[in-house]
Amino acid sequence: MRPRRKIEPWLFLLPALAVYIGVVLFPMAGTIGYSFLEWNGIGEKKFIGFDNYVRMFTDKTLRAAFFNNLFFMLVGTAFQMIMGLLMATLLSGIRKGSNIFRVLYFIPCIISSMAICKIFEKLLSVQPRGVISVVMELLNMKPIAFLSEFKYALTCVTLIDGYKFCGLYMVIFYAALMNVPQETVEAAYIDGCSWMQAYFKVKLPAIKNMFFIVLVILVNGCLKGFDVSYILTGGGPGNATELVATYMYKTAFSMSNFGYGSTLAVFILIESLIAVGIVKMIQKKFSD
Amino acid sequence: MNNLQANKTTRIIFSMLIVVFVIMQSYPVFWVTMASLKSPEDIAGSAPYALPQSIYFGNYVKAFTQSGLIRYFMNSVIVAVCTLLGIIILSAPAAYAISKIEFKQSGQVMSFFLLGMMIPIFSCLIPMFQIYNLFNLRNTYLSVILPQVGFSLPMSIFLYVGFMKYIPNELMEAAAIDGAGSFRIFSKVIFPMAKNSTVTVMIYNFVSIWNEFTYANTFMTKDAMKTLPIGLNAFVGEMGRRDWGATFAAIVIAILPTILIYFVLNKQVMEGMAAGAVKS
Repeated sequence: MRPRRKIEPWLFLLPALAVYIGVVLFPMAGTIGYSFLEWNGIGEKKFIGFDNYVRMFTDKTLRAAFFNNLFFMLVGTAFQMIMGLLMATLLSGIRKGSNIFRVLYFIPCIISSMAICKIFEKLLSVQPRGVISVVMELLNMKPIAFLSEFKYALTCVTLIDGYKFCGLYMVIFYAALMNVPQETVEAAYIDGCSWMQAYFKVKLPAIKNMFFIVLVILVNGCLKGFDVSYILTGGGPGNATELVATYMYKTAFSMSNFGYGSTLAVFILIESLIAVGIVKMIQKKFSD
Repeated sequence: MNNLQANKTTRIIFSMLIVVFVIMQSYPVFWVTMASLKSPEDIAGSAPYALPQSIYFGNYVKAFTQSGLIRYFMNSVIVAVCTLLGIIILSAPAAYAISKIEFKQSGQVMSFFLLGMMIPIFSCLIPMFQIYNLFNLRNTYLSVILPQVGFSLPMSIFLYVGFMKYIPNELMEAAAIDGAGSFRIFSKVIFPMAKNSTVTVMIYNFVSIWNEFTYANTFMTKDAMKTLPIGLNAFVGEMGRRDWGATFAAIVIAILPTILIYFVLNKQVMEGMAAGAVKS
């Protein structure tokens, strides 16, 4: 509809624009500005040009955090996608009760990462014995303190984070699978396809686009991974579970290095833009 | 599964896997609930996976009396209600302007908002901290409400626009002929019609607001201002070593409200969260 006065749409937009610019864009610009400073948050700000950026390239902790994050992203994405698709496939295969199972499968998604972490902390506890170590003892294995063991900590953090969110991808894949036209699937059956063949040759290709959408969400989400690592292990032992976001957070708020912390924040921003760009490019190639 | 095509073994494997996943997805919550009902002797004397020998509520009494859980809970409620109100009040009119008022820049304004979906909260945290320090806003409700409203706007506006653009223009024109101005058309015609979108926007945002960790952990350092996730952390950190029973009870108290809401509104919650995720 045409407005009576030209200013009308802007009156409706103004509050949202003001808050959006004020709390999202303005601080982001601030972060970019801070990234050129040496500054502890209280004292004097000192302009040091690109020194923080140079430091980034020789920072061993950042390098470890970056590779941890890469592992977190690759394994987390694969795990959540497979789990989500598997659960969705199972549910799409049954007639009765798929609703109640879907409700149960989704439970970890609605619980805070804090509660999930606290529950797993107790399940995995070795002293006193938690469920996992007791079960391991019953199986004649030596209980392992998964979260404080360098070898296992990152895998644990990745899987617990994945466990928390995989229900979301189950719902997305389930909706997509149910949207595949019944006639197409039945036509495949009439042509003599087995259930497996119909699933892999007809159903999965039909939801191809959904994979890319899920991939974008997952890659983007994993690069910003923070909660589980920060709460459960605090990046440790050593820097076994340090992610870029936890390192940035600690640099700024525990070590009061606001300048370098901002540089790391800019790194996260650029990193996620590039990653999403790559996924979108691959998607374009596939859909042509 | 079509009975004709799936043979018996496939169906048995399917049913078994379904049960395995049910156990996997619900066991942690089930376990913590059971463990919270064990008496201290029971916790010390029985296997950690065993069911409670008798139902014992002492842990809950302890969790409520020895911690600020009630206070944390109230803080979480205040933050969630104000944040949701803020999101609706800001995003519905903005979406109305973008989708229903003709003006040259409407497409650009939408893209400008969508840009926000790409921005990680971590790239805004440090300046926010500085601004809050400057205006003495740390340890206020506003300090966690504002950023959550701001970062929820792109998605919420997007969800609203997706619905509002399908409301027929004739309805608005009829109201305009009756003498209604833009504001009346919005508040009396468009907003009531977008009721379902409002529910979706609220549900999509509620779960993440209720469970929010980073802002609350950064800005709420005073015990009296802590929200449930942060308060739980403090309580477990302090009690976790000495008293597992009370710890379990506190965890159950913290997750119970979302679980209850979820069991009542499960369809809307799942669809709302999935819709938000897919459309980003």
